[in-house]
Amino acid sequence: MSTKQQNAGKTALNFLRNNTVPLMFIIICAVCIPISGFSPSYLLNEIITRLGRNAFLILSLLIPIMAGMGLNFGMTLGAMAGEMALIFVSDWQIWGIPGVVLAMIVSIPFSVILGLICGKILNMAKGREMITSYIISFFINGIYQLIVLYLMGSVIPIAHGSIKLPRGYGIRNTVSLLNMRQCIDNLLAIRIGGVKIPALTLLIIALMCLLIVWFRRTKLGQDMRAVGQDMQVARDAGINVERTRIISIVISTVLAGFGMILYLQNIGNLSTYSAHSQVGMFCIAALLVGGASVDRASIGNVFLGVTLFHLMFIVAPQAGAKITGDSMIGEYFRVFVSYGVITLALIMYEMKKRRQKASIGEQLALAQKEEEQHE
Amino acid sequence: MNNKRKWIFRGCTLLAILLIAVLMFIVGRGHTVYIDNKTLEYNGESYGALQKSEVWVGGERLSKLGKRDRTMTTVIGNSFEMKLINTVNKGDEPTETTVKISLPYGWDGILVNIPGYLANLPQEAWMTEFIIEPTAEEATDEEETTEDDIPMGDF
Repeated sequence: MSTKQQNAGKTALNFLRNNTVPLMFIIICAVCIPISGFSPSYLLNEIITRLGRNAFLILSLLIPIMAGMGLNFGMTLGAMAGEMALIFVSDWQIWGIPGVVLAMIVSIPFSVILGLICGKILNMAKGREMITSYIISFFINGIYQLIVLYLMGSVIPIAHGSIKLPRGYGIRNTVSLLNMRQCIDNLLAIRIGGVKIPALTLLIIALMCLLIVWFRRTKLGQDMRAVGQDMQVARDAGINVERTRIISIVISTVLAGFGMILYLQNIGNLSTYSAHSQVGMFCIAALLVGGASVDRASIGNVFLGVTLFHLMFIVAPQAGAKITGDSMIGEYFRVFVSYGVITLALIMYEMKKRRQKASIGEQLALAQKEEEQHE
Repeated sequence: MNNKRKWIFRGCTLLAILLIAVLMFIVGRGHTVYIDNKTLEYNGESYGALQKSEVWVGGERLSKLGKRDRTMTTVIGNSFEMKLINTVNKGDEPTETTVKISLPYGWDGILVNIPGYLANLPQEAWMTEFIIEPTAEEATDEEETTEDDIPMGDF
C-alpha cells in the first residue's frame, strides 16, 4: 500500500472517529424518515420552528467550552432565571415583544448572581466542571422551587390570581404566556410553500452567532481560549484564570436565560416547576449530535445538532408506532438516545484523551531509545 | 483615565438598559377591553342601548353588537382606538364614530359602555374596571407537580 493510500485511509478513519455521532444520527434519520411517512414540507416546517426555538439556548453552551469548562449543565440556572423573569412580567401584565424584552432585562441580575455562584463553585472543582455544574443545577432547582412555591405571593408580591395558587401563595403549575406567544416568531415571518420562517427569531440567532465570532477575537475571548488550552500557561502569561472562567459561566448563564425566554415565547406557556429541568440535558445532547465534543464546539455544530437531533425527535415516535405499533417505543427511544449520545460523547472524549496521552508516551519512549542508541 | 472611562461606559450601559426596561414597562402594558352595548343608568337617568353597533379595531371588524351584547379585545399600550358604526334605532342611517381612549395603567380589564360614551358622559360613567372572578376550576387547589420530567414533544 502506498503512503498516499495510507494517508487517505488515516484521514477517512479520523473523519469517522471525529464524526461518529453525527453520522450515526444521519443513518437513524435516513431510516426513520421514510418509515414515519411525514411530508418534506412538514418536516422542514418543524425543523425551522425548532431551530428558532432552541438554537439560542444551545449557542449559550459555546463560551464555557471555549474556556475549557466543558459542557455547562449549569445553563439550567439561566433557564430558571428566565422563568422567574417571565413570571414577574406575566404578573405585571406586560405583553408582546415589550414583555419579552423586559423579561430578558429582568432575567439579567438573576442570571448574573446564579452564574457568579456557579462560576465560584466550578473554580473549586477544576477538572470536574461538568458533574459539578450538573449537581449545582439540582441544588439551585431546590432553591428555585422554594422561592416559586412558598415565597412568591407571600413575601414576593404577586398580584394576579391567574398566576397564584388559590391558597394565596405559590405559583400555579402552568403560567399562560398566551399574550406573548410567538410574538417574535410571528413578526416579520415569511411563508414559503406552507413553510413558516420566523425571520426575526432567525435574525436574532444570526446576530448571536456574529457576536460569538466577534467575542472570540476580543482580548477576553483570547484569554478564554488560552485558559481553555492550558490553565497553567495562561496563568504564567498573566491571565487571571479564575476571573476569566467565572466570566465565561456568567455570560453562558445570561445567554441561557435569554434563550429560555425565546424558547418559552414560542411554546406559549410556562411549566413552572419542570420546564427548566431537562433543558440542559437536551441542549447538550443536541450540541453533541452536531459533532461537538467536551473541549471543542463550533456554531456549525449547533445548527447541525439542532437539525439532526430534532429530526430524530420528530420522526422517532411515528416511526416507532409504525414499526412496533406502539408510539411510546419511539418516545422511549428519544429519551434513550438523548442520554445515550451524551454518554457516548463522554466515552469517546475520554478515549481520545487516552489515545493522545499514549501517543505522546510512545513518542517520548522512541526519543529516549534513539538517544540511548546515539550514546 | 482609562479606568474612569471604563466605569463611565459601564454606567451608561446600565442606565440605557434601565431606560429600555422602563420604556417596555410603559409601552407593553396589556389590557383587556370589554365593549358593551347595554343601557346605562347614571345619576338617575337612563341611556338606552343602541339598536346595533359594529366595532372595528385595527382595521378589522371585531364584532357586531346588538342590544345587551358585549365583546372584548386585548390592547398593548395605554391608548386604545376603535371605530363604531352605530344604528341608534331600527331603520336609522348608521353613523360612524371614532373612539380614542386613554387606558388607566393599573386596570387589567376595562369595561367601556358605548351608550354612555356617545352621550358624552364623564369618563367614570362609561369606563369602569372589570375584574374577572376566578372560575370554579381556578379556585380549587391544584397539586404542584415538581417532578423532573417534561413532555418531550415540547422540546
